[in-house]
Formats: sequence, structure tokens, C-alpha cells
Amino acid sequence: MKFIVSSSYLLKQLQVLGGIINNNNTLPILDNFLFELDKNSLKVSASDLETTITSKLNVESNEKGAVCIPARLLLDTLKTFPEQPLTFTVEDNHTVEISSSSGKYALAYADGEDFPNAIELKEPSATKIQGDILATAISKTIFAAGNDDLRPVMSGVFFQFSTEELTFVATDAHKLVKYTRSDVKASETAEFIMPKKPLNLLKGILAGSEEDITIEYNESNAKFTFENTEMVCRLIDGKYPNYEAVIPKENPNKLTIDRNQFLNSVRRVSIFSNKTTHQIRLKIAGAELNVSAEDIDYSNKADERLTCAYQGDDIQIGFNSRFLTEMLNNLTSDEVSLEMSLPNRAGILTPVDGLDEGEQVTMLVMPVMLNN
Amino acid sequence: METPIPIRKIIHVDMDAFYASVEQLDNPDLMGKPIAVGGSSKRGVVSAASYEARKFGVRSAMSGVLARKLCDELIFVRPRFERYAEISKMIRKIFFEFTDLVEPLSLDEAYLDVTENKKGNPSATLIAKEIRQKIKEKTGLNASAGISINKFVAKVASDINKPNGQKTVPPEEVISFLETLDIKKFYGVGKVMKERMYRHGIFTGKDLKEKSFEYLEEHFGKSGAYYYNIVRGIQHSKVKPEHTRKSLAAERTFNENISSEVFMLEKLENIATEVARRLQKSKVAGKTITLKIKYSDFTLQTRSKTLPLYISSKDLILENVKDLLFQEKMKDSVRLLGISMSNLNNEAKKKEANPPPEQSIDVQLKLDF
Repeated sequence: MKFIVSSSYLLKQLQVLGGIINNNNTLPILDNFLFELDKNSLKVSASDLETTITSKLNVESNEKGAVCIPARLLLDTLKTFPEQPLTFTVEDNHTVEISSSSGKYALAYADGEDFPNAIELKEPSATKIQGDILATAISKTIFAAGNDDLRPVMSGVFFQFSTEELTFVATDAHKLVKYTRSDVKASETAEFIMPKKPLNLLKGILAGSEEDITIEYNESNAKFTFENTEMVCRLIDGKYPNYEAVIPKENPNKLTIDRNQFLNSVRRVSIFSNKTTHQIRLKIAGAELNVSAEDIDYSNKADERLTCAYQGDDIQIGFNSRFLTEMLNNLTSDEVSLEMSLPNRAGILTPVDGLDEGEQVTMLVMPVMLNN
Repeated sequence: METPIPIRKIIHVDMDAFYASVEQLDNPDLMGKPIAVGGSSKRGVVSAASYEARKFGVRSAMSGVLARKLCDELIFVRPRFERYAEISKMIRKIFFEFTDLVEPLSLDEAYLDVTENKKGNPSATLIAKEIRQKIKEKTGLNASAGISINKFVAKVASDINKPNGQKTVPPEEVISFLETLDIKKFYGVGKVMKERMYRHGIFTGKDLKEKSFEYLEEHFGKSGAYYYNIVRGIQHSKVKPEHTRKSLAAERTFNENISSEVFMLEKLENIATEVARRLQKSKVAGKTITLKIKYSDFTLQTRSKTLPLYISSKDLILENVKDLLFQEKMKDSVRLLGISMSNLNNEAKKKEANPPPEQSIDVQLKLDF
């Protein structure tokens, strides 16, 4: 088995695939890339058992074969080369020899059959979505997903497809984000929960891509196909909580404010908040928003006043400032609105401007019950 | 007649000069120097002294001033309990590799019952060795161990080859070991008990053994019976694994019975302060509050209510206890009042999902899934 490939082209592909490889694997074979050569087409795969990602590369060859090459070693080597053709030759003594313009390097390889097979999807449904849109949907939601091992369903992002729109939801029970695109539709309704790790990888690869990506899915797995790459991953098993039920319907108190101004104020004031609760207090009366925090242990205190547009009764409500900053940071609009009903009910944060046609973002944040 | 000794395999693991060793480990400049963890101020007390400092006679619980007098170059280090707890956690993890029957006595010592252990190792001596080795590997600290058939002997034995050693007292040697043991080395015999024992001519285990059960009971009360058994190698106290706290309470019995609610309120304020202090110490808060009333005729009454939120502050406890107190009229004059908090938020604490409520009842709310 022998092939010739451009060093930077190979490195670019391998760096994407390498993102899925765990730092400490229980199965040593997973520290490798699987190289499957079929004449001019080279398939490279990486896996963590949950997710397998495969890219097809064009190479110069007229041979066939499959080997596993240590990922770390190969990546470290490739990074150092200036662009040039590299020749990979599988030798008889169980090593792969790479020859570059500067010299020769030998790596021990394992047999291709040792690498775990990627899951084949049986009877999948399929939906197409533009890469950039999916990347946005992921980055808008993924930060709100939880880390609680006791509620694994909430550690992923909920994909809800229908013939009218696509919805993406993430929550950790303290905050919730719902991202809807009515300009993209599925051929039939479907729901599944995607784990965070492959989504983070997709987010990176797909950002800014105008190409369409095909999502195929069944009960237990999902497959994302784009350009020359496909990613198959296991879904999170379980039923996603009924998030619609927790979105308050009647919110008579509505605050509209410049997002940057609000964000900066929250950031500043939160420095003075309690170091464990990160709690800040919003007091809204008339056209004035009062943001304050206090750390009794250290006698630290901050108080700011902002002008805002407000409709509703005077209200005093506490929030964890970290949640607010995360959410305000994630939005890109100039102005945001915060709708509230009572100090013990979720606040609904939405962007006022800057949305695409058919795009909708709803963020929920649960307050902190204030003592006085 | 001798009662057969139930054979268990108990290990008592004790870290050597734990706080001081941790400080020396974290700050190599202190290595090999006499250090004392604790305050050097007028009222300060040494909570731990390194072995270098002990050579000068510095002991724990000694006043900082006296310690300084004994040892001129003594370096005082401020205690960092979080750090000790962190290391203690690592050590406990090691214990659990061997057995689930672990009874921690404090941050730096614990009893282990290894009669049945996870490694299937029949030798408690070898297990103790392995544990000490692992502690050294993982934390860099030295531990000593005592191995025997019950907690008492194991505890006494762990002191014998300290520091960084271990001592096994096999079943057949337990009796002779206890006989030759100085009475002041008996766990639980402090300054006062030692004096009393000495007055009765008891200087060693052997002397103690020669006294009859009745004699000991007459002169030492309940603890007399305890020592009668102990010196015969009999102690049935099991190794009790740590359990999560279900409730927390404080109560006071009054010198004179109280009939006025105004006075009761005053007493309840003291009790509430104590409960709040204990809650905060254990970093928990409770939802259910119970008022316990013992009347002068010894009848007992409890009144309780459950709140929508976890509370831990004195003011809130008192406010709710007041409601309970005035709920109905007292039947009689009262000899005891108590407040207990249950329905504790132990779970939340364990998961650290939401930070434990601090001084107030500000609570991060959750979406209701």
C-alpha cells in the first residue's frame, strides 16, 4: 500500500478529525486514524466510539489497503512540514514510512481491521440544512446545555424537526434557549437529542459554510454529511423535558434596553456580587433600570442606573449574573427585551433586531429568589 | 470465665502531624523546620506541630505563647482547612478502594474494617502497608497504622510505631498487649481519669484487669464497665460508615420550669442561634422546622411545619419557631425546649448543582420540568 498526498491538504483534514479523539482512551486503537485506500480515494476516520467522523481525500495511488496510524504522532509531524508532496509506504515490518523532501520517518501501524466499524444507519429519515445555519443554531443553544450526569438528556441539544420549521433547544434547568428557523423545513416530524461533543466539532467545521449539509437520523443515531466528510454519532437516549410548558405565556412587564449597555453594566456590577451566588438585583421603575449587587462577607457593593423603555408594574428581581452575561453575550442584536411576570418566574430574553428572515431566538432565565 | 473475642480485622489509620505535614508539603521552605499550625497570638492555640517542633516539646492544644517560649525558631502557619479537607478526601478515596466500612474520626484519622475487603487480601497487616504506601504516593504524606481485632486496640497500636510506622496486635497477643499497656495510653483516659485510676492503684492494664466488674462500676460508673471489657479485648463497637445527616437539633433543659412564653422566647433565641450555627457549620439548610416541648410532667409535645424554602439563618428559624410556639396554649410549665431542622438539602450540597444557600435564603430557582 502506497500513496502520495499533499502535506497541508492532509493536515487540514486530519486536524478536523483529530477533534473527536479523546486524550485518554480505554481502547488504545482509538488513538489512531484509520486510513482506507482505494486507488485515488483515501478515506480517513477517527472515532471515540460514540462518534465516528470520516473524510475522503484525493491522493495519487493505484493500490488498496487499510491501516491505523497513531494520530498524535502523525499530526505533530505534519504540522512541521512546509507544503510538499508526501509519500506514505506501508512496509513489511509493520511500519508506515513517510518520505518528505527532508527525510524519512517510520511509524508503527495497527491493522485496519482492528479499528471499530462506524455505525450504519438503518432506515434513516433525512433533512437538508445550510451548514452556516446549523452552525449558528448550535452556537446559539449549546452554551445553555447542562452538565448533570443525573439528567443526561439535558446535557445535549434537542433537535425538533417539523414540516414547518426546525427547532433547537438546550437547557440546564436554570436557563433555556430555543432557536427556531422557519425558513428551513423537514419532510416529516422528528425529534432527537444530540450530545455536545460532536456538535462542538460541527460548529467549528461548518461556521461560514454555504454548502448544504444532510442530516440523516433514526431512533439511536444521526449522520451529518457535507462536502467530503461524514459524521455518525450516537444520540442521547431518553425523553426531552416538555420545555414549552415552562415558557411563561403572560408576561405583562417588558423591559427594552441597549444590549451592550446592559451587558457592560451587569458585568461591572457582578464583580461586586457574592462570589458563590453571583447574584445581582434588577429594580425597574418608570424608565429606569437599577442594577445592583452586594457581597455582605466583604462589604462590597455596586449600584448602577440605566435608562430603558419599560412597560409594566415596578418590579424587583434577582438573577445569577453569570447566566445573564452568557445570554447577553450570545445575542448579537443592538437591543434586547426582557419580559417578566413575577420575581419567581422565568424572565424571557429576546433580541429586538438583527434577526434573519424566519429566525427566532427565545432565552429563558430563572431568577434567584431574593430574601428581602 | 472469658467471653470469646469476636475476630474482626480493624485498621486505624492516623496521618502523622497532618496539618503541619501538609503545610510542609505545600511549602518546601518549611520542610525540616519546626512549624506550628495555629495562631501565635495571645489567645492562639497550636492545632498541630511538626515533628521538628515536637522535639522542643511543642504539642497540639498548647497555647501559642507557651509554644514560642519552648522553641525560639518556631514558625507559625495559618491553618487552611479547605486544603486539609481536600487531601483528606483523597485519602478517604484510597480507603474506599479497600473497604466500604470506613469510619472517619476526623480529617486525619479513620477506622477501617477489612475483615471482608475488596481486594480479597486476608492480611490486614499487608493491607495497612498498602494503604500507607498509596497515601504516600498520592499525597506525599506519611501515615501510621494500628491493626488489631477491635477499634480500641487498633487505635492504641497506631501510636506505637509513629511516625510512619505500623503495629499489628494479633488476636493471641491482644490480652498481653493490653496488660502491659500503661493506663494513660488507654484511649479515653485523659488527665482526670488517669488521676482517678492512679488513686485506685491502677497503673497498667494488668492492674485494671485485677479489679472486679462491681468494683469498677462502683468507682467509675458506666465507664468502669467499659474499661472492664476493654482490658479483656472485648469491644463490640462496629466501624460505622459515615452517613448523611438527616436532621440537626439543639435543646436546653432549664434549671427551673418556665411558664411564661416571654421567657421561652428568650430561651428559644439562644437555641435558634445554636441551631443556625450548626447548620452553617455543616453547610446545610433545612425545610422542616420542629419545636420540641417537654412539660414539667415529662410529657413530650412536638410541633412542626415545612417551609417552601431551605432556611439556615437564626432570624428565620426564630420567626418560624415563634409561630409554632404561639400555635396553641401551653398545657403546663415547661422544663425543656428544643428546635430541630430536618428535610435538609444534603442532596443539593452533594451535587453542588446549586451553591448552598449562604447567610440568607436567596435561592436560585429552577425551571419546573
